[in-house]
Amino acid sequence: MSEIKQVNLKIDGRDVTVPADWTVIRAAHANDIDIPHYCYHKDLSIAGNCRICMVNVKGAPRPVVGCATPVAEGMEVSTMAPDAVEARKGVMEFLLINHPLDCPECDQAGECKLQDYSVDHGRDHGRFTEEKVRKSKATLGPHVKYWGSRCILCTRCVRFTDEVSGTGELGVIYRGDRSEIATFPGRALDNPLSMNTVDICPVGALVSSDFLFQSRVWHLHSNPSVCADCSVGCNTRVDLDAKDQIKRIVPRRNDAVNKEWMCDSGRLSFGYAYSDRLQKPKVHGKDATWREARRAALELLSGTNGSSVVVLVSAWNTNEAMATVKDFVSAEVAGARIVGYGNPTQQDQTFPGFTIRGDKNPNRDGLKSVLGIADADASLKALAAETAPIGTLLVVHNVPGFAMTAEFKAVLDRSENVVLLDFADGELLRYGNVAVALPTLTSFEKAGTFVNHDGLAQEFAPVMEPVTHGVPESDLFASLKQDARAATVSGVKA
Amino acid sequence: MSEPVKTSVPFEPILTKYINEPNAHTIEHFLARGGYEVARAHVGVTDPATLVGIVKDSGLRGRGGAGFPTGMKWGFLAKGTGKPAYLAVNGDESEPGTHKDRHILEKDPHQLLEGVILTCWAIQSNHAFIYLRGEFILGYERLEAAVRAAKGKGFIGKGIFGTAFDLKVTVVRGAGAYICGEETGMLSSIEGGRGYPKIKPPFPAISGLFKCPTIVNNVETIANVTHIIKNGADWHKQWGTEKSPGYKIFCLSGAVKKPGVYEVPLGIRMADFIEQYGGGLVEGRAMKAVIPGGLSAPLLTPEMVENCTLDYESLASLGSMLGSGGITVLHDGVDMMSAIYNTMRFYHHESCGQCTPCREGTGWLEKLAHKHHSGHAAEGDADLLADVAKNMRGRTICVLADAAAMPMQSYLQHFRADFDARAHEPAHAARHRTARDEITPAAKRDSVLHGAPGVADVGMGNRE
Ligand SMILES: Cc1cc2nc3c(=O)[nH]c(=O)nc-3n(C[C@H](O)[C@H](O)[C@H](O)COP(=O)(O)O)c2cc1C
Ligand code: SF4
Ligand code: SF4
Ligand code: SF4
Ligand code: FES
Repeated sequence: MSEIKQVNLKIDGRDVTVPADWTVIRAAHANDIDIPHYCYHKDLSIAGNCRICMVNVKGAPRPVVGCATPVAEGMEVSTMAPDAVEARKGVMEFLLINHPLDCPECDQAGECKLQDYSVDHGRDHGRFTEEKVRKSKATLGPHVKYWGSRCILCTRCVRFTDEVSGTGELGVIYRGDRSEIATFPGRALDNPLSMNTVDICPVGALVSSDFLFQSRVWHLHSNPSVCADCSVGCNTRVDLDAKDQIKRIVPRRNDAVNKEWMCDSGRLSFGYAYSDRLQKPKVHGKDATWREARRAALELLSGTNGSSVVVLVSAWNTNEAMATVKDFVSAEVAGARIVGYGNPTQQDQTFPGFTIRGDKNPNRDGLKSVLGIADADASLKALAAETAPIGTLLVVHNVPGFAMTAEFKAVLDRSENVVLLDFADGELLRYGNVAVALPTLTSFEKAGTFVNHDGLAQEFAPVMEPVTHGVPESDLFASLKQDARAATVSGVKA
Repeated sequence: MSEPVKTSVPFEPILTKYINEPNAHTIEHFLARGGYEVARAHVGVTDPATLVGIVKDSGLRGRGGAGFPTGMKWGFLAKGTGKPAYLAVNGDESEPGTHKDRHILEKDPHQLLEGVILTCWAIQSNHAFIYLRGEFILGYERLEAAVRAAKGKGFIGKGIFGTAFDLKVTVVRGAGAYICGEETGMLSSIEGGRGYPKIKPPFPAISGLFKCPTIVNNVETIANVTHIIKNGADWHKQWGTEKSPGYKIFCLSGAVKKPGVYEVPLGIRMADFIEQYGGGLVEGRAMKAVIPGGLSAPLLTPEMVENCTLDYESLASLGSMLGSGGITVLHDGVDMMSAIYNTMRFYHHESCGQCTPCREGTGWLEKLAHKHHSGHAAEGDADLLADVAKNMRGRTICVLADAAAMPMQSYLQHFRADFDARAHEPAHAARHRTARDEITPAAKRDSVLHGAPGVADVGMGNRE
């Protein structure tokens, strides 16, 4: 590896120093100097086709494109020189002549680069009075639709499928101002990363079938989060409407984790926050108050000899939850055995520019670091292989879309009583021997930390108010502990 | 009023000498006139740098349009990259008014192949691609046959002429797109992609075909190489001017008595050329303008033609270019609005669509030109045309945008009155409107998307 040397240049009068193999646009952006761009994307190859990024370079006969012009020692770049301004204005006008300008019904409105740059760089009236070129609309795949007439042919989407997903479904068809984006004959845009094309489309040409017409974007508010769908832990932005309802999830840039990508499954898996939720505590299948339910749980946990209590903790729990479990067990059910489990690991799905992890648990690493469970699957397997009856099984679950395994069943079947902590009114709850069910929260409703496959601890905050009467595990165990203390002090030991 | 062509040294056609002989395309004919002897004498023998030096000294300039010095281009080829070097011969010849390469390909393909062999030895490339315009059916057949024949003789293939030098020649056909004549568009097309031109730099000589160092030259340029190496740089320089040495094939068309392909020394007067070779204007017509170097070249008025000589510098000084050598003479009866509309239709049709100013601008120019043609233009439309053309220039990946804007600008410069006369002139529209003139992109596209057999059901997503 040869050392890349640094060069010094001036952009809009400011001295900047950047590696010699950078382009002007990269140097500008790294120094918070804006150069407008459509086709340029940090994580894709350079196409240089939109021509909006033109800047003036001292000594050059005409403006050059910032995205394809390498920096050089002593270079003097001006983004506001009259010829650069003029060039951008020309490009802006060309971009709009055949554009339908249907912002009122376009999903992109409000977060559209055509709108933004029109204001910043365009002219205030149109000079084009001819018939516009009409283009087709198409359903490119299960999640993505194409609005041809809005497309500015920046080819970001094509380069994404060529370079990041490597699936190559997309291409340009026809020529000149008749050009359109299309899938190759017989293909559909159906790769597991397909919706990233919607994010990187700078205009409303590629839209998400799932989000289409769901909301005007200016009615949404956003909160940062971390995706829990697999062990990558993509950084996300969760967009919610005025009723605090999640409308969509999009990636948030983190070059150490997910760049600016995430998988379709991750961005679409928020439905579990709204359906089949465990609304209230239950004791033997009947709704109960928190106090009743906690008392019932404590009875089952401390009423038995600690050695016949087993605690199952899933890899979907936060570090914080795991730590309170540990703390509670050592204080109240000393000697109880703690076993880990998770969603079964599948194959990694590896693409040229992204890997979706086969480990469909956000925090397997937490089990290791907080609870010392090096191999969760093995610990459950070992437990399942035993025959001794279990007095009370405490399950700290919180796994959406959990597929019951034979091993898990075997453990449940051996347990006299089950105390379940879960946010869902799901298969596990209905399995039969759940004596007490205590509602918890999804990761959208609570704060916590997940440690991703790479050992990176990522903290997140709630993005919305809880949908149910559930509480975070830390609060729940704190109350249980308090109840246990109160019971001993007042002598009302059950 | 015709004066004899003024040139110090008598000139006989060199590249086109045999094109009227019936069997000139066969290897037997070529060998009988000493074909492949120059290649045999130099390949594996002469220091490649010496050959590059001869071509440099000869002052040969590229015949594809830009007139870049050929030897200098060869000198830019990146060396020691660890990658193979390629020669890509440009036979796309799509510039309207140009049909010179076609004659070489169809009637004397071995002449081109000998040039290819010598060039490959000079630049030390073991693989040459020859890219042909898709419509060149006969040229393709004859060139393929020529490659096979030359292979059969051991002039192409492994260890050519008994030396250790290997040479593979691949003939590639385009699908009929003007943009595939732009050198990097051609390279994209050879690579199997859409004929999208690539951003320069890097230039092909540094990173071209399959990201390897590549020399791109026009068919006529390469055909010249054999003659220059055989006869020397000074021989080549005995014709032409200091900056435009040698001779060139011109394609004369339009309102002349004898349109055709003529090979002449550079530097002769354009007026003389039209008179002597073309036989002057057709009976009863006067000259209105001349398109001097293919459709992209800004046109010349008769006064400019009087002052013009056929060389790169003269045309440049007149604000135009020698280009590909396609000279089209327009007579005084030509409707300039029809001519410019037809010209704009071409560029609109041929823009590859990558760059915003070209993709959108070519269509806009056509629509506005159509308005002037049909008499529906409004006051100010000519100024708008000027502004649109200006906004297209120098702002794109390749120069097709300029090639479209330049003729428009020259028409506006020299025939502005014709534009203005058409603003609000519906009567003219009624007289001249024909079905061909209708630009209804939507209707056209609808038929492609829904009606045309074989297109409707090719997938491309579920399209509405
Ligand atoms: C739009 C466009 C079309 C072109 N078409 C051709 C062509 O058909 N044939 C050709 O030889 N050069 C064509 N050129 C020029 C080539 O880009 C290139 O300059 C040439 O092939 C180089 O060869 P030369 O140096 O031997 O002239 C075209 C250029 C442009 C911008
Ligand atoms: S669909 Fe969007 S991303 Fe793709 S080329 Fe068009 S504008 Fe660019
Ligand atoms: S890769 Fe994993 S973490 Fe990232 S979005 Fe997909 S499921 Fe979520
Ligand atoms: S200038 Fe026109 S033809 Fe050339 S690359 Fe750009 S869009 Fe294509
Ligand atoms: S951002 Fe530079 S040309 Fe598109």
